[in-house]
Amino acid sequence: MAQPKPAPPPPERRNWGALLVRNVLLALVPVWLVWFLLTPVYNRVLLVSARNLLHLTESPNVTDLPRRDEHYAYVQRLDFPPAKSLVHSFRVTDLHFHFVLLGALFLGVPGIPWRERLSNLGVACLITVFFDIFLLFFYVKFVYATQLGDWSMTHYGAFARNFWGLGKHLLDLPFKLSLPLVLWAGFYFRRLMPSSEPRRSSSPAS
Amino acid sequence: MARNRETPASKPSSSPEEPFWRRNRREITFLVLFLVLLGGGFTLISVNWVNDHAIEPFTAAIARVSGAILGLIGQQVTMNGTIISNARFAVNIRNGCNGVEAMLIFLAAVLAFPAPWRSRLAGLGLGIVVIQVVNLIRVVALFLTGVYYPKLFDTSHTVVWQTIVILSGVLLWIYWANRYAHPPRETAA
Repeated sequence: MAQPKPAPPPPERRNWGALLVRNVLLALVPVWLVWFLLTPVYNRVLLVSARNLLHLTESPNVTDLPRRDEHYAYVQRLDFPPAKSLVHSFRVTDLHFHFVLLGALFLGVPGIPWRERLSNLGVACLITVFFDIFLLFFYVKFVYATQLGDWSMTHYGAFARNFWGLGKHLLDLPFKLSLPLVLWAGFYFRRLMPSSEPRRSSSPAS
Repeated sequence: MARNRETPASKPSSSPEEPFWRRNRREITFLVLFLVLLGGGFTLISVNWVNDHAIEPFTAAIARVSGAILGLIGQQVTMNGTIISNARFAVNIRNGCNGVEAMLIFLAAVLAFPAPWRSRLAGLGLGIVVIQVVNLIRVVALFLTGVYYPKLFDTSHTVVWQTIVILSGVLLWIYWANRYAHPPRETAA
């Protein structure tokens, strides 16, 4: 019996993939510029939102996330002596550079109207904002559980240290880096599939 | 950009009365499989034994190759494990800088996508090589940035090059899934 051979995809499918790669590369620099300009504002939004989320889990409220400059911030424990209250410094901008990938991927999809692209990008950005707030929440908990030496050992057990440590590791690397792909696949997965299903009537693309 | 270009299927063939999970079962299956494989892969490499016996030697090999390339382009570098240094600058290649993250994302996406195994293996082989080549360029470029433009190092390290390495994996996957990961053609016996 003959081995099944992969069927070559129709030409429009091949062109679609190549067009997407080209469009994404073209969109990369403009998207990066927009992200770079919005970063100082977004950093503030992120710090305030994460601090408020942290306060939901604290009584009394002991965490503050003051800015050091446009890109860096501190984790501050208000119940520590003032000279030692700034317990950790981190680069906030590093938490959300996946917006560049997200924007380029969503704007680069060929064959759909701009209105739909922007609408899908808006939904994806909203989900990403919530993810970033949650990531920063985990980051601060990770600092408390594992980075404060004896204080961490006294206040967090082995399970808690592993929970916050692994949670931060998974959120900060795989899920942060793959979030744009996950969201893109959520919206456009069918466009990658073989065209065994009815096609959408061709719409004006840009 | 393309005008009035035909695109692959975008509407489900199932009826709108079907429940959400059934209408979108292929997307859901892909996303669940992808996240499980990705979480499993990253949990695996966070185990100390795996890190010490697989990831660290792999990272040291990347450092050696990067050091050799830097030597070829005239940089007087010395190597010490995963550290590349010269008189002006030193970098320690750690997890996050060895391309393993991009490789795992690519691997999880290829394995979760419905495709023949032959296509998957070909895609994995080629994709991993391309990702590692991009990562080598990144390490060399970052070292040179640290030597000649140290103020740009932080931004270049995470924002620019991490985006480029991950993007290369994502675009490779999309290109592979769109062009090569099609189902086998039925042939007569």
